[in-house]
Amino acid sequence: MGKIISTLITVVVAVGFSAAIWVGANLVFNQARYHWARFNGLVFGVGGFLLGVLLSGNRLTIGSEGETLGGFLNWVWLPLVLAAVFAVLGVALTRTDDDRQRLIIAIATGAVVGVGLGLLIQDQYLPSFSPIGLIGWTVAGVAIGGGLALARKKPPLNGVLVWGALFFIIGAWGTADLGAGSTVEAVIGTLVPALALGVRLGLTDNPELHTRTIIDQKSRAVIFLGPALLFIFITLLVPTVRTIYLSLLDNRSEEFVAFENYVTTFQDRGSWDASGFSNFFTSQLFWIGVVLLGIGVVLGIAQKQRTGKAVELGGASLGPLVVAGVLLAFALFTTLRGTIVNNLWWVVAVTLFSTVLGLAVAVLADKAKGEKIAKSIIFMPMAISMVGASIIWRFMYASRDISGEQTGVLNALWVGLGRLSTGSGIPTLIVTIVLGLILLGLAYMVAMALTKQNVGRAVVPGVAFLLIGWFFVRFAGIVGGGVGGFRVTADGQTVARTIDFITDSPYNNFWLMVILIWIQTGFAMVILSAAIKAVPEEYLEAARVDGATQSQIFWRIVLPQIGTTIGVVVTTLIVVVMKVYDIVKVVTNGQFGTQVLANDMFNQAFAFGNTGRGAALAVLIFVSVLPVMYLNIRRMQKEA
Amino acid sequence: MTKRWHKLAALPIAFALVAAACGGDDDGVADAPDEPDTTEAPDTDEPDAPDTEDFGGVEIVITGSERDDPSVGAINAVLQEFGSERGIDVTFIGDADWEANINTQVEGGNPPDISIFPQPGKLAEFARDGFILPLSDDVVSSIQDHWAESYQLDGIVDDVHFGVPVKTDLKSLVWYKPSIFEGAGYAVPETYDELEALTQQMVDDGGPAPWCVGVESGQATGWTYTDWVEEMVLRLHGGDVYDGWVSNEIPFDDPRIIEAMQAPITLWTGESDEEAARQALADRDLPRVFAASGTIAQTNFADSADPLMDGQCYMHRQASFFSGFFPEGTPFADGSDDAINVFYFPDINDDAPALTAGTLAAAFNDEPATMAVLEFMATGEYAEKRQAEQTRLLDGGLSGFLSAASGQDPSVYQPLEQEFLDILLNAELARFDASDLMPAAVGAGSFWSEGTNIINGDITVSEGAARIQESWPN
Repeated sequence: MGKIISTLITVVVAVGFSAAIWVGANLVFNQARYHWARFNGLVFGVGGFLLGVLLSGNRLTIGSEGETLGGFLNWVWLPLVLAAVFAVLGVALTRTDDDRQRLIIAIATGAVVGVGLGLLIQDQYLPSFSPIGLIGWTVAGVAIGGGLALARKKPPLNGVLVWGALFFIIGAWGTADLGAGSTVEAVIGTLVPALALGVRLGLTDNPELHTRTIIDQKSRAVIFLGPALLFIFITLLVPTVRTIYLSLLDNRSEEFVAFENYVTTFQDRGSWDASGFSNFFTSQLFWIGVVLLGIGVVLGIAQKQRTGKAVELGGASLGPLVVAGVLLAFALFTTLRGTIVNNLWWVVAVTLFSTVLGLAVAVLADKAKGEKIAKSIIFMPMAISMVGASIIWRFMYASRDISGEQTGVLNALWVGLGRLSTGSGIPTLIVTIVLGLILLGLAYMVAMALTKQNVGRAVVPGVAFLLIGWFFVRFAGIVGGGVGGFRVTADGQTVARTIDFITDSPYNNFWLMVILIWIQTGFAMVILSAAIKAVPEEYLEAARVDGATQSQIFWRIVLPQIGTTIGVVVTTLIVVVMKVYDIVKVVTNGQFGTQVLANDMFNQAFAFGNTGRGAALAVLIFVSVLPVMYLNIRRMQKEA
Repeated sequence: MTKRWHKLAALPIAFALVAAACGGDDDGVADAPDEPDTTEAPDTDEPDAPDTEDFGGVEIVITGSERDDPSVGAINAVLQEFGSERGIDVTFIGDADWEANINTQVEGGNPPDISIFPQPGKLAEFARDGFILPLSDDVVSSIQDHWAESYQLDGIVDDVHFGVPVKTDLKSLVWYKPSIFEGAGYAVPETYDELEALTQQMVDDGGPAPWCVGVESGQATGWTYTDWVEEMVLRLHGGDVYDGWVSNEIPFDDPRIIEAMQAPITLWTGESDEEAARQALADRDLPRVFAASGTIAQTNFADSADPLMDGQCYMHRQASFFSGFFPEGTPFADGSDDAINVFYFPDINDDAPALTAGTLAAAFNDEPATMAVLEFMATGEYAEKRQAEQTRLLDGGLSGFLSAASGQDPSVYQPLEQEFLDILLNAELARFDASDLMPAAVGAGSFWSEGTNIINGDITVSEGAARIQESWPN
């Protein structure tokens, strides 16, 4: 109960405070146009109050601690005094138009405030200046201020005074040995910048009505944007900068190590391991990919003679080429190992499969019977949390000791198939006969199509014949001992063998990706389906009138029309996948060679206490997502 | 216009609100530095204070990570009984999120008086940062009276006593079902050689697999294997090598450590050659192991309770807490047919080593009342009373609590726990779980993950050892 009340109070205070600032700022700037003195008095007063809060609040000044005046008063007197002094200064400056008098008033106030604050600094903060730091910072400030002013073709004095004063403060207080110095040094440390800022202030003129009107108008934008910008600054910019800073420090965030964390991350075998690269050329995936690539090239050449284009959407060569590319990429990913490779694999596989499957469903279900139900079912995984989906799939992938029943669906099927294939009972016989009959039927269809000189009709049954034929050959044991989950022991016995979906590296990575594909296909489908339905019916009708086939309509009209939407889906998916964390955390926690950047980051930073490494990984993820985000934003701006 | 003018009053009010909010916070911080003053003042009286001093109702707050009802209830009951005699109002708070909260409490200047640390690593860190204080001479002598030197070591940081051992977990146990063992004509092995011979015998006899092994444990997969390795380092090479290994003076790729890492693999596969063992693990060709989920790496360590009861395997090496994973009502060590019992994981060099874990209490201030409570917590009396109370709260069930303090009446323990106690008190050499003492990047990181890779047959033991050593933070 106490917690609820205190949270409630915090919320009320925070909201009330924000609203008060907003309303107050609006009211203050209302005065700018016609009540310049009032406006100036208020702005200066608030400025002085904030300066006081800064000093008093950090317990830097005498009186801010202890009980001399009693509690709150103790603390608040300095802000109030400074507010009053500054308010008077503001009003006084407004009422004085003579340049010389303005200068005198401003410098005198600067001197009083500077000396006063210097005397008020607590003993333990009295600075003992480091001459190099003090001079170095000041010179740097003067140079920056002067340089900026010159670059903007303005007299350099103003910039020199402001930047010099700010950098003097950093040099005087930031590089000094605090507590070892004297009051004199403290007074110097406050007086010099106060005087410089006083001079700068005294050099200004009271603005004309026109200028004040501009101030009034321009201030509104700042007031309205202010809270949002402040929020983004605190929640986004500050953590980003701090993470980058932490990534340059050692694991205990104590010493500066420059880019060592990044170097170790890239040198770590866990992040990038190319030692198995030679296996690339011997892997089955590679060879299948190469063969498909060859087929694609041959088809491409044939197509070029016919249509003048070797590769085009919907052309015969595209399919084999894409599949070859995917297979070769997979072959590469399985030989190169490590966190970074895994992440790339995730990005390629999940983005590709989710988009293609989502598009396929969207197209095939479009205007079909039961479209709504089918799409609802496919979309449903989106409603399941990543953790929930991971647990569901863990059960799907589960395996049990072969002496008992398999509880995981996939292993139960696989082991069952193995028993069926290697067995010699009636069920095995029946399945073999059924498969044989299907093959004969397919062969008949192919033969019929070929005798009618219709090659196109022969393609689908032909492919099916090849695939089922291969399965039949394996099932019957004509090539290999059979198909399914079994292995032959050294003494010739056949025993069941499960697939270790979760532990069998590197393919376990793909089984993890399936989970995310399962979730994200629904997302891709919904977005793409909406885009397909938005393609103007006139185009489709015109194409039909011209005699285009269904597939030509899809490849030449629908696909180009939804190109931007596919771009949105792909970029969104890439950002989601780059940050993938939950699935890996739940299923393997990065073991068995399935580590990804985000999970590694969490482990390094929070489990192993390697803040530097964790921050470096966070920055890596951030940097790799940036280009995609940039593209996304660019497109949104273009569309707007 | 004048009306609007009044709205400006909102500004100072808003600032005042913020100021008040800040002011409230600062009061808390301002109080913190005062604390040492009040604690130091009575400090001078301490040497004169007699043991039965009445503290006149001082409040002592203890936190710890144990939070199950019987534990919290028993700790509170025992300490409050002690407190009522001495005028101390003791409260124990079990905190599920102890690891995170203790940091916040210490950094916020608001620590408890005493906290019970689940591992010595954190305790050493706090001691070096000056958050916890050295124990008074009375507490140290109480520890020395009741605890064997091996157990004291965990609470000593840079030769100064900081931690009071208050609970001991025993790891060097093999669980088995006596009725099945006897039915097959096997005897409990007394030496490691006998254990190996028995394993081979069981395979040759063609019955169930000798061992149930599983190292899966969700986020912590692999820790079971680290326990096996720790057992073998202790058994093969003794306490000094073990300590050198923990501090990495003896690196992971040292031949002695590799030997210890290979030993459990050899026991499971029957292959002492690294590559042959890896191949057997990769092929899942493991007649010596029953893994409920197909492979060792996929089998949850807790899933070995059922096969052990059903007789699908003969033995399972796991810590004392494993009793909690058997179904409710399972009889332990009572001689019945269904009973489950344990035997000591046999030694090699006849030095009866025990691998342990446990908790240590440490003080965040040196007030006499704090030290008086710790002095009591170090005794066998505390352990005995807690055990009795906890067993009572559980209606005579296994309490899960165990302490290696001397001076306890063993009869307050259940028969199975008496076996544990027997092993603990007979151990000539006891060492704390090494992976808990190593840097987290190794002890909760690479040692787990590379160990799992070894078990999965992905790499050989030597490769795994080299990789773990590579990951040791500089």
